[in-house]
Amino acid sequence: MLARRPLLAALAVALSANLSLPSSVEAQPAARPVFPASAEQVSYAELDRLPDWRGIWQPNIGRITGDQPVLIGEYKARYEAEQAKLKADPNYEVPETLDNCEPDGMPSMMTMPYSLEFLFTPGKIVVNQEALMMVRRIFTDGRPLPSADDVDPNYFGYSVGRWEGETLVVETVGTKAGQRLGTPGITNSDQLKISERIYLDAANKDLLHVDFTYEDPNVLAQPWHQNHTFRRDRTWDILEYVCAENNRHPLDAEGQTQADF
Amino acid sequence: MKTLLAYLLAAAALCALAPLAVAHHSFSMFDQTRKVTHSGVVSEVQWTNPHVWIFVDVKRDDGAMEKWGMEFTSKVHLARRNFTQDMVKVGDSVEFTVSPYANGKPGGRFFTIRMANGRYYCDVGAAQKVCDENNH
Repeated sequence: MLARRPLLAALAVALSANLSLPSSVEAQPAARPVFPASAEQVSYAELDRLPDWRGIWQPNIGRITGDQPVLIGEYKARYEAEQAKLKADPNYEVPETLDNCEPDGMPSMMTMPYSLEFLFTPGKIVVNQEALMMVRRIFTDGRPLPSADDVDPNYFGYSVGRWEGETLVVETVGTKAGQRLGTPGITNSDQLKISERIYLDAANKDLLHVDFTYEDPNVLAQPWHQNHTFRRDRTWDILEYVCAENNRHPLDAEGQTQADF
Repeated sequence: MKTLLAYLLAAAALCALAPLAVAHHSFSMFDQTRKVTHSGVVSEVQWTNPHVWIFVDVKRDDGAMEKWGMEFTSKVHLARRNFTQDMVKVGDSVEFTVSPYANGKPGGRFFTIRMANGRYYCDVGAAQKVCDENNH
């Protein structure tokens, strides 16, 4: 706010003198840091040292390993209530943002039954999810991870990564509350922290591991681990997927998908 | 957490049966315990995301025409399975089988289509058996 004070002072003077503001007096944005990922000085040579993650990566659906979540509080109650509804009615659908063509953000965007693509640029990795054309950015330029409270909550949060050998270690905070966490019926609070370790399989370079750890003091009594794997395909590129192109599935008042035609 | 484990196992089993799970909504809206088969003439093909749709005019027992909607997975998934936009055309006579909508609306999740020349198109999973047995 310091940077704005001279402007406010000028504004106060102008108003007190009943003068119109000169056109050159415009709101100046607060000074923003330039992180290495966008700095004028750049070296692309660093990319040569990174592992080859090109091609697209398709999930091994149904082969998730890890441990079981230990839910607490209202999140436990909600999960159990949703399970009871599913048990009572096989045609019940757990309401989720995705049902309305809305991205379901992190961490679910990494594990959709569509393809992932990793693009490396100096200081930054861009991850494209084919489904709903979702995008996330992982900053690898050494910037600090902000606290969750300093991020305007958003679908994909704020991700900072670093390389430990050929493993990309990523931490993400600042995701919107209420997105799917790990499985339908469990959602996150705005205090979720997601840690990922992403690496090629030691014995199979066409197999990618993404090991997740979820920590959320409002949802989980202890960290929850989920490990996913992905198969490389070098023959396809990401295909276009605009969910609004022809969504014939409006939701009813209970969040249940309908067919409209 | 036994219920969660049971659910995860059930979900894993379901995914194993239907590896191309939808991204957009669950299968809950379909009555997956049933299959219904009808014949008719294709009135419209929508080669789109998040789902491909084929509409068929079906003559009901009382003589009235009824529009049936066949819901497929996405254009993306179908393209990777070598389905093409012109595999079924407006005016084609087809026999189709779907898992019907649970609410009774005339339509459902694509299972198989039999073309006039006897060739079948089949969904992933159990439907593949129909294609294996009939397409030579």
